Amino acid sequence: MPSNPSRLNSCRFEGCTLTGALTVTTSVRDSVTVVHGPAGCAHHNFSLLHSTGLDHDCITVPHILSSGLLDTEIIFGGEKALGQAIESAVSRRPKSVFVLSTCIAETIGDDVTAVCGSGWDVPVIPIPTAGFLGGSFQAGVNNALTTIAGMAQPCRNDGGINIIGEKNLEYEVEQNYAEVVRLLSLLGLPVNLRFIHNITTAEIMGVGKASLNILRDEGVAGVGERLFRQCGTPFIPAFPTGLLGTIAFLDRIADACGVQSRAAVLEEMALQESMLDDFSDIAGSCIAVDHLMNGCHEYSFIHDVNEALHIRVKPEGTRVPLPESAPVGTAGLRRMLHRWRRAIHA
Amino acid sequence: MPECENPLWPCAMTGAAACLAGFDGITVIIHGSSGCYYYPTTLLHAPLHGTFILENEVIFGSEARLHEVIGEVQGTGKRIAVVTTCVPAILGEDIRSMLSSHDVILVDSPGFSGDFGKGYHAALSVLAPETDPSVAGINIDGVSLFDPFYRGNMREVIRLLARAGVPVGLILCRDRFDRVRHAAPFTIGTDGDLASGVGTFLGSTLGFEALSETFSRVGDALECADVEPVLADIKHEEERVVQACDKYLRRFDPPSVAIFSSFSYAAFAARTLDRYLDADILCIGSRNGKKEDLPYPVETATGLSDVQRLIGNCTPDLVIGSSFERSVKGEATFIGITPPLRGSVRLASHPLAGTEGVLFLIEAVLNACMDRQQSPS
Repeated sequence: MPSNPSRLNSCRFEGCTLTGALTVTTSVRDSVTVVHGPAGCAHHNFSLLHSTGLDHDCITVPHILSSGLLDTEIIFGGEKALGQAIESAVSRRPKSVFVLSTCIAETIGDDVTAVCGSGWDVPVIPIPTAGFLGGSFQAGVNNALTTIAGMAQPCRNDGGINIIGEKNLEYEVEQNYAEVVRLLSLLGLPVNLRFIHNITTAEIMGVGKASLNILRDEGVAGVGERLFRQCGTPFIPAFPTGLLGTIAFLDRIADACGVQSRAAVLEEMALQESMLDDFSDIAGSCIAVDHLMNGCHEYSFIHDVNEALHIRVKPEGTRVPLPESAPVGTAGLRRMLHRWRRAIHA
Repeated sequence: MPECENPLWPCAMTGAAACLAGFDGITVIIHGSSGCYYYPTTLLHAPLHGTFILENEVIFGSEARLHEVIGEVQGTGKRIAVVTTCVPAILGEDIRSMLSSHDVILVDSPGFSGDFGKGYHAALSVLAPETDPSVAGINIDGVSLFDPFYRGNMREVIRLLARAGVPVGLILCRDRFDRVRHAAPFTIGTDGDLASGVGTFLGSTLGFEALSETFSRVGDALECADVEPVLADIKHEEERVVQACDKYLRRFDPPSVAIFSSFSYAAFAARTLDRYLDADILCIGSRNGKKEDLPYPVETATGLSDVQRLIGNCTPDLVIGSSFERSVKGEATFIGITPPLRGSVRLASHPLAGTEGVLFLIEAVLNACMDRQQSPS
């Protein structure tokens, strides 16, 4: 969120479609993403993705190619520059090329789809993005995921689980994934594919192998529905949050996959009890949470934890940090409670 | 412009925002989408505002929205500056006329108009700093919020001027806005690529040699200046550098170096390492072209593929650049002087300018090279 947003209309802060789509396409390792716009747009996003990669201890860099529009192309049209950029991308012999437009390319009316359909040696896939003219950051993510899902081929279900629409810019993305994998392992279920997080073009084809899709959150519900229509794979709408939510998640997965959940649920409840014991020193504390968050559906997990630890929420309480997204599973709650303890004991 | 793989340098809009946001007393509004706003905000760590325009405004015009945001942020006593981004710049709206009822600075600096430096200078030309003969002292220019070394540079040059008994004039661009028309008659620089052209330029503060010449000119230009303490400091610190480098060279060969930065910083690093460490400067990849002849191979390197090619061709054992270069440096050791420097914690205000700047550079290079030499293969 911007530090100084205009207060007049919160829908204005929903970010750039291009950035959203890039978080997906650059996660296909053997692809090149062409950004049709000024070099600055590609730089801004490359810098952001690179910085996020470093936060995730990932030293590889995304493959982004800019068509480098300048004043001349803005006046006379940029399709030739786009064609050159795609040609250059294809010459690097990637397995796929994704082409993303920008708001300025959209405004001058370049026909990106036509240039992409000019008979290239590798799949050149236009993804509907047009900066802010294409919608929001989340729309970019969804457009990329649904377009790429269209590349998948029918295949036999092998009983694994797909993780759909992870927030690749999220600081805790790997920790959240690890927590879901841990919970699935309690039920004896393997992951088939992280769609899309650090995978190859060939792996995309296997998205239909899974017996269940777990969506990162409701923001990618459209992608879940698309994959259900395309591959017949049912989906769980979000990663688990809260103490009770995590237990319910295990039950839902077990139901969907036809496995027993009792042992897994008991093991998880014991883990939660042990975790709460570890934080008994902050039981009964009085905390304050940001009023913007209070009452927000996504933050209902706080009530769960507060009830278990008899923590009261009052305006005069100690201000505690809240994560930007609800913490995932029991491990996410543990990390949050460590931060709360630091604040309460400060 | 040919296509560019993983472009490494920000656009003109970001440059303009960096210039304007450096002035206390200016409220900067980015007139564009939230996506365009987000990058300079995270990069500059400055309080920027945005119009966050939507499709609606592209179709029906952005005037109402611009007035709405100006209405929100005005009344603080600060001057409002509006920086245009790509789409508003081509909508055909007469933004200057739209803003005629407000006392607003308008900088037309869309991303497609060029790179960071172009936008920085465009904003500076709109601000039009002027010298004031009644103001004593020396201005400092080349300061930009974009530069991770700006705070260190500023403090170091202020310290050196204080050593010489010289008051500090205007700092471009990190000062109070009400001082913009009251610059001192003379200027010294911390980054030649961002030279302001304000006042008589007395020279650079990058490197001992330039620093010595610059402060000699300061002594000639200002009667009040006593530059001898600074010149003595330069000699003393230079001797320390010579000793440290000599000690290194008794055990190790000089490093072979690839340098990637804006031209001014790259030239400083190359000359310093050549002079004191007898380093082999294999290549300079300049983010913003070649500004003067250097006795080293210089190429423009604005994309990551340029950097990879240059590193691949010359196999350096030391790479100097940004965190982008760090990602593709291979087996070479690395030090960072170029933004962005991500993936490491940076809290202290290190300079590249002044005597401390040379000491920082040499210290970082020697430590990195010794770590590399001593690490088990």
